[in-house]
Amino acid sequence: MPIELFRIDDRLIHGQVVVGWGQPLDVGFIVLVDDEVATSEWEQELYRLGVPPGMAVHFETVAEAADRFARYNGERQVGILLTKDIETMRRLATRVPQLRSINLGGLHYSAGRVQKLRYVFLSPGEEQVLRDLASCGVEVTAQDVPATRPVSLDALLEGRGA
Amino acid sequence: MVVTGGGAAPVPLSPGTRIGIFTRLFAIQASWNYELLMGIGIGFCVEPALRSLPGGPDGPRYHEALARQCRYFNAHPYLASVAVGALARTELDGVPGDRIERFRTALCGPLGSVGDRLVWAGWLPVCSLLALAVYGLGGGPLRVVATFLLAYNAGHLALRIWGLQAGWKHGMRVATALSSRVFRDGPAYLARAGALLAGIALPVALARVIGPGQGRGPLAGVLVATAVGSITLVRMHGRAEGWRIALGVLAAFVLYATVLRHG
Repeated sequence: MPIELFRIDDRLIHGQVVVGWGQPLDVGFIVLVDDEVATSEWEQELYRLGVPPGMAVHFETVAEAADRFARYNGERQVGILLTKDIETMRRLATRVPQLRSINLGGLHYSAGRVQKLRYVFLSPGEEQVLRDLASCGVEVTAQDVPATRPVSLDALLEGRGA
Repeated sequence: MVVTGGGAAPVPLSPGTRIGIFTRLFAIQASWNYELLMGIGIGFCVEPALRSLPGGPDGPRYHEALARQCRYFNAHPYLASVAVGALARTELDGVPGDRIERFRTALCGPLGSVGDRLVWAGWLPVCSLLALAVYGLGGGPLRVVATFLLAYNAGHLALRIWGLQAGWKHGMRVATALSSRVFRDGPAYLARAGALLAGIALPVALARVIGPGQGRGPLAGVLVATAVGSITLVRMHGRAEGWRIALGVLAAFVLYATVLRHG
């Protein structure tokens, strides 16, 4: 089964991911792609605490995730791939042509970012990266949980998402 | 990788500072907003400990640490006490700022999901059902409300006290404390206790609402329903949730009461 959701969320593993998306999609595993977390045991230990029994989590660097993508995409269970920032997802998208849709699930306030949705704040640089991805044919939408309606990138950037 | 921020405490917190942090925990969501969620609350709670940083409240380290701790953060409000203790410890241990920020981010997920499962989905329903059982067994309004408030807040306060101590003690190694059996198995035990209490509380509460004068019938019904519910729960463990069984037992009781009244 293919990976069903490519999500950018600065909280990485939390309730919206493991329960909000995990239950309706019947997710069996999460691929957490982050170059720093992939080499940090104490961070992995913390993130594992947020994963319910029966759900596996794999920690990968961008390069490892790209190399092993075919294997993850061929798993018998449904998977979710997570990154905590847009740049990591962009790097992955350049190496993985099967990555055709991106879900913005949570990018919260930090200096230089402007609010686009209740749960999405973007800097001008991040907006440009998302536009570039969309121009390459990647569908970018914002949706925190399945029960809410997805917001297209155009609506998001024009402030019509709220 | 060497993990700092979890060895012998270099700067012991005074009793006054501990009490100050603990009392501030009750206001941790007072400045909740969509930009930072609980971030300012974390900064507010950690602040008394930050005054012990070199240079004091007027020094650059205090300002840098306070600004860092006021950034975006989200967790269960009771288990946020773990984060407050651990983050205070990392700041006083002199852990580099970028590592503290990554630590903060990594804490959000587990403290949210563990707290949700343990408190919102476990302890809160159990205490509600306990109060409902007291009502069903004849308790007056004051006793019902007092039962709920005392039971719920006993768990709530214990969690906040434990969380602050565990966070301060373990620092960046706090995952050790969070992987204890209480958090791993606690939600499952609470779910079973909730199912048992539902089997008792809902029929007796309904019996009281429906009205008196039915002799020992309702009591016998409760005992049978509890026994059936318990056996079913054990037999169907892993395939049925407690609330579904409770609902089934409640439906059976309503049917029984209706037949008894009109039969």
